Amino acid sequence: MVQLRPRPSRTPASAEAMVDEGQPASEEEEAEHGLLLGQPSSGAAAEPLEDEEADEESDDEAPEELTFASAQAEAREEERRVRESARRDKVLLKEKRRRREELFVEQKKRKLLPDAVLQQLAAAPQTSQNKSYVALRLKDQELRDSRQQAARAFIHESLYGPGTNRTSVNKFLSLDNKRLPVKKAAAQFLNSAWGTQKKQNAKRYKRRWMIRKMKTPKK
Amino acid sequence: MINWIPGTYCSELLTVSLFRPGMGEFKVHRVRFFNYIPSGIRCVAYNNQSNRLAVSRTDGTVEIYNLSANYFQEKFFPGHESRSTEALCWAEGQRLFSAGLNGEIIEYDLQALNIKYAVDAFGGPIWSMTASPSGSQLLVGCEDGSVKLFQITPEKIEFERNFDRQKSRILSLSWHPSGTHIAAGSIDYISVFDVKSGSAIHKMMVDRQYMGVSKRKCIVWGVAFLSDGTVISVDSAGKVQFWDSATGTLAKSHLIANADVQSIAVAEQEDSFVVGTAEGTVFHFQLVPVASSSTEKQWVRTKPFQHHTHDVRTVAHSPTALISGGTDTHLVIRPLMEKVEVKNYDAALRKITFPHRRLISCSKKRQLLLFQFAHHLELWRLGSTVATGKNGDTLPLSKNAEHLLHLKTKGPENIICSCISPCGSWIACSTASRFFLYRLTYQHDNLSLKRVSKMPAFLRSAVQILFSEDSAKLFVASNQGSLHVGQLLEGRFRHLHTFQPQSGTVEAMCLLAVSPDGDWLAASGTSAGVHVYSVKHLKVFEYSIPGKQYTEWSRTVQKQGFHHLWLQRDTPITHISFHPKRPMHILLHDAYMFCIIDKSLPLPNDKTLLYNPLPPKSESDVVRRRTAHAFKISKIYKPLLFMDLLDEGTLVAVERPLDDIIAQLPPPIKKKKFGT
Repeated sequence: MVQLRPRPSRTPASAEAMVDEGQPASEEEEAEHGLLLGQPSSGAAAEPLEDEEADEESDDEAPEELTFASAQAEAREEERRVRESARRDKVLLKEKRRRREELFVEQKKRKLLPDAVLQQLAAAPQTSQNKSYVALRLKDQELRDSRQQAARAFIHESLYGPGTNRTSVNKFLSLDNKRLPVKKAAAQFLNSAWGTQKKQNAKRYKRRWMIRKMKTPKK
Repeated sequence: MINWIPGTYCSELLTVSLFRPGMGEFKVHRVRFFNYIPSGIRCVAYNNQSNRLAVSRTDGTVEIYNLSANYFQEKFFPGHESRSTEALCWAEGQRLFSAGLNGEIIEYDLQALNIKYAVDAFGGPIWSMTASPSGSQLLVGCEDGSVKLFQITPEKIEFERNFDRQKSRILSLSWHPSGTHIAAGSIDYISVFDVKSGSAIHKMMVDRQYMGVSKRKCIVWGVAFLSDGTVISVDSAGKVQFWDSATGTLAKSHLIANADVQSIAVAEQEDSFVVGTAEGTVFHFQLVPVASSSTEKQWVRTKPFQHHTHDVRTVAHSPTALISGGTDTHLVIRPLMEKVEVKNYDAALRKITFPHRRLISCSKKRQLLLFQFAHHLELWRLGSTVATGKNGDTLPLSKNAEHLLHLKTKGPENIICSCISPCGSWIACSTASRFFLYRLTYQHDNLSLKRVSKMPAFLRSAVQILFSEDSAKLFVASNQGSLHVGQLLEGRFRHLHTFQPQSGTVEAMCLLAVSPDGDWLAASGTSAGVHVYSVKHLKVFEYSIPGKQYTEWSRTVQKQGFHHLWLQRDTPITHISFHPKRPMHILLHDAYMFCIIDKSLPLPNDKTLLYNPLPPKSESDVVRRRTAHAFKISKIYKPLLFMDLLDEGTLVAVERPLDDIIAQLPPPIKKKKFGT
């Protein structure tokens, strides 16, 4: 279960739900409520709230007219604000990433050997014929192994994979037996791999029984 | 790494039966618990000039067969876990190259029997490789879709340039005989390149299914470029298609199988080619005239051959024979009747299944057998019996055979050779880079093993290992041609002497044999010469001992010649042993028979029956003496991997029935038969 942070938008909703009466408790709460709704307290946005409040008092009046221009201006402001905040977020994130990257580079540099040694190693020949060992780069070997593995898998799949018409050796050799005038059994009629555990247990039990039998004196 | 399996009892067959080959009774241990499975064949490459065949297997082993010397396997390169060859080809000057999924091109040194060098192509896994018709350039097709051209220099190969890169992996390549164009088969399409510019001229799309729609991608497993501009392609939908490379269009399409057609090889004269399918069938296509009088010719599928049970992954076409190999591990050489000049036994089918080298050694004193596998050794003690019986009986065992030791070697390399000393206290084995020597000590029923450390480095890559009869000396034949002799004393190895290769040539010694008294050592090299070394005096002799000439008996044999059936055996003799108390008897065997040669009896001529089992008792003595001859052959135990004399009256025969091998192979293609 994920515990959610109590978000600002929720409490007013729950408060409203709990309140039985239609009228809000006080005007101050209303004002707070409006602010909590997340609208910045600029003049343009405050209008609808005032409208609401005004509405409560004078239901008979027609709603105030919003000109197109004002609404458009309002929308543009919104957009700009959103863009601004997004850009700020992006910049902050970029900074953070850049700093982390620098930190990693520093750490890696600290881990590597000093430059002089690295240059010397790069200049030295890769393998030596006379010595009894061969030096390999593990990355190369892994790539080679994985490619070889993929190649083997391809061959196996194309020869023995799904879609190929293969049968077991036993069935193959027994086919002739089926067509003889006197039908014979399969080439490998018995499955010696069946019940190995049972056979082992039986063998052990038999050995133990015989030992017991030997121990008890004959009557 | 050592795995102890003390006291495990095998459930395989170990029967003891009496056998009488006309010269005494023997108890024979028939051993069938050697679980030997050969690796599948992946590529073959035929070399016309030397009539040799190079075969590479899935475990990385490369074998060279001499087709004119009765198909004998004369050289081999041991396998490696990381090397899986996908392509093999010969280049000019008898040079052999292979390329595999590890992305490297490898050249093999055929004289020194080792890898010359490995060059990374930097294109990912390599799927295909072909040599130019002139033999001086090498082309590889890689996983990333690039086709790379390499120049072959006398010492190495050099990267020249890349061709236009394609979208999917290049699975097959073929060069036009004039060297101007190249066909490359990929997934769902075939590209034709111009060699000079390296650009792709045509991209020919392949249908996924013969006149139909299929979800599975069509993989072009093989392409072949003929001199008239025709490109033949074989793909995974079971089609053989003929394309015109000048216009980039499909000329003809044949649907020959329900499964993949995986390989193609064209004869040098371009009048016939052979393809292999995943069902194990090999088809022969020939260029025949349309009508008897017309000059116009067309490709017709003439003969199907079903000699394999599993996928035929590779085929080759020599001037007189079709060669095929695949997952079922047999190498099949089928001579074509119309191309063979003399119709004798040479024109028969050859199926090479069993190794031409010895994989088993025996300790006579302790009745132990050492089995050699690719990455481990197994030590078994034979069962014993106290019963007796008459000829043909199977005696009951009082004690079963025991699996004493399972010895794994470290590293990715395959074991090349191994040996156990006659006393059973030493085990030696060699890989390409290391030599292992172990000392075994027996206390009552327990066995303990200790590795002898600090073995000299020059012992590695041995081709043959042999212990002397008294187990005091160790003989190692290296692949450089030299022979090392060492002394085994107090659990340590001490190098005594090294016989350097003769006459300056580097030639690896293939076969070794030591005399019972330990004074003489015989070795034969790949060029079929036999060298005899005196261990006592550390000198080399030629031919044989001690009169410095062929013995009387062998001279007689040479003069009279062998019986014609003897010469027609198609598997080589893998082991020869001598009876210590009866110098007149020689025991030898190949995969299908074993024979005891009695030098005191007359040699058979062509008219006598060679395979001569015991004649019925009703015949008189005189008749028996007349028909008896020196070669006592028995075909009871087959297929034989090893046979040796344990003591005066006991033989051990290690058999490997083919069914046991087939039962452990990968799954084959399903065959639908009516009524099942």
